[in-house]
Amino acid sequence: MAETKSERQTFAAEAIPSDVKNGVFLGNPVMDNLVSCMIAMGTELWATKRRMKVIEAVMEKKGITQKMIEQYVPTETEKVAWEQDRDRFIDLTLGPLGDDGFRAPGSDFPKRG
Amino acid sequence: MIGRRTLFSGASATVALTSLVSSQMAQAAQTLDKVTNTGPRGADGRLKRLATLDLESQQDFTLGFRLMQAKKIRTASNNLFERIIATKGVDPASQITMEQLRELVDDEPAFNLAQKSWLANQQITWKTLRDHFHAHEEVYLGEMEAADKTGPGKLELNPNFDIPAYARHEIHIQPGGYVGDPYAGYIYHYGTNSFYISVIGHNEQDQIHKATAGRLPLPADGKVKRILDMGCGVGQLTLALKERFPDAEVWGIDAGGPMVRYAHMRANGLNNGANFAQRMAENTGFPDGYFDLVTSYIVHHELPAEITRKVIAEAQRVTRPGGVYYPIDFMSGGTKGTPKGMYSRWWDHRWNNEVWSLEYHSINFTDEIAARGFEIQKNAAAALPGFGVRHAVRA
Repeated sequence: MAETKSERQTFAAEAIPSDVKNGVFLGNPVMDNLVSCMIAMGTELWATKRRMKVIEAVMEKKGITQKMIEQYVPTETEKVAWEQDRDRFIDLTLGPLGDDGFRAPGSDFPKRG
Repeated sequence: MIGRRTLFSGASATVALTSLVSSQMAQAAQTLDKVTNTGPRGADGRLKRLATLDLESQQDFTLGFRLMQAKKIRTASNNLFERIIATKGVDPASQITMEQLRELVDDEPAFNLAQKSWLANQQITWKTLRDHFHAHEEVYLGEMEAADKTGPGKLELNPNFDIPAYARHEIHIQPGGYVGDPYAGYIYHYGTNSFYISVIGHNEQDQIHKATAGRLPLPADGKVKRILDMGCGVGQLTLALKERFPDAEVWGIDAGGPMVRYAHMRANGLNNGANFAQRMAENTGFPDGYFDLVTSYIVHHELPAEITRKVIAEAQRVTRPGGVYYPIDFMSGGTKGTPKGMYSRWWDHRWNNEVWSLEYHSINFTDEIAARGFEIQKNAAAALPGFGVRHAVRA
């Protein structure tokens, strides 16, 4: 923990690490890890949204108003492209909700052909 | 760096936005190449703004989650806790052992989701900050190095300082704790701002430390020429004390070299003449009776009970007769309570890595002070409302 990329003096000592990463609160470490991922995802999503707010605020000061953004009508080409991207986004982020899981980790391959 | 003028000077906003997002860290490296007193994004009063908008937003999210968690998830969790123990036939007002409690709730995912999400959020707070400061070593080590030998206050660091094991834990699961990360001061200072907002109130401008310093009682003769802040961390109370008593010699000491180093740098930026030193509270090195006022800010629950006793003895040694000793910390002396209260205390100890908090709560801190040459003042006021009142006068 005390190391840096350089050999400069840091006045840091060796810490005694906590074992928080080994905690299992939800009966299965996978569930715990999923919650950690969700919080991390939320952090990144909010950072992106907040950046958009800053950009819109700056744009407004430069003459591109919130009203212009809200009233913007996409072209037909844009509509098609955006719908495709929406479907891709939903499939990526929420599609796994529809996964049909019923085989145990130790199960054999199903019979094929 | 893509400046605002560049961003809107003719290139399309879409192209500029893509460049802006994808090159964020590159920008940060460029904008951080100058060590200034205010940082690349300026300052919000006494607090330098975090160096990137994304880092600031990440902290904003974890604060928001913490607020929601406190209001909603924790309430649901508390209600569920009461239902669980009622289902198991336990009276919520009864006192049962911690082992019994842990068995009751260990397998309840709906209850433990609240604990897990809180921890995950806390980890993200620390990780995002730590990653940033480590990624910009040149800037942050550079600015601390530049500040080390400047003033107005003094800084004393000891590269061979022997830090006892009890002080090397990752309290609050902060990676590296207070002693083990070169940027511990930065990480702690920015990370704990959200602690305050969700529990006590805003402290980005050191409001809580200033108010606390303002409420600390004076010796009966009114003489305050020297002040010691034991276990000062990033020095927020130390700075506030120097501001209240500008003519006094004020010292903040802490085991963590990176903490006092950051505290000193921050003091320089605020033109505050407080002095900082890497020293242990149980062995301060100051002469007998040197200080008129000795204090500490939420330190003792991070110490083993035996060390707390040694620190009190050291405070007694360095406080002059008639001087004030006022250590601020949680109320203590309670090893029994309602099931929920006891479980929360245990959980904070175990999973928020408050390694010594149960020891702290197992002793009566005020009685320990009274037993070591101090007279406890009756009907004293709380320096920090909601915490223990411990206005002690050196006999």
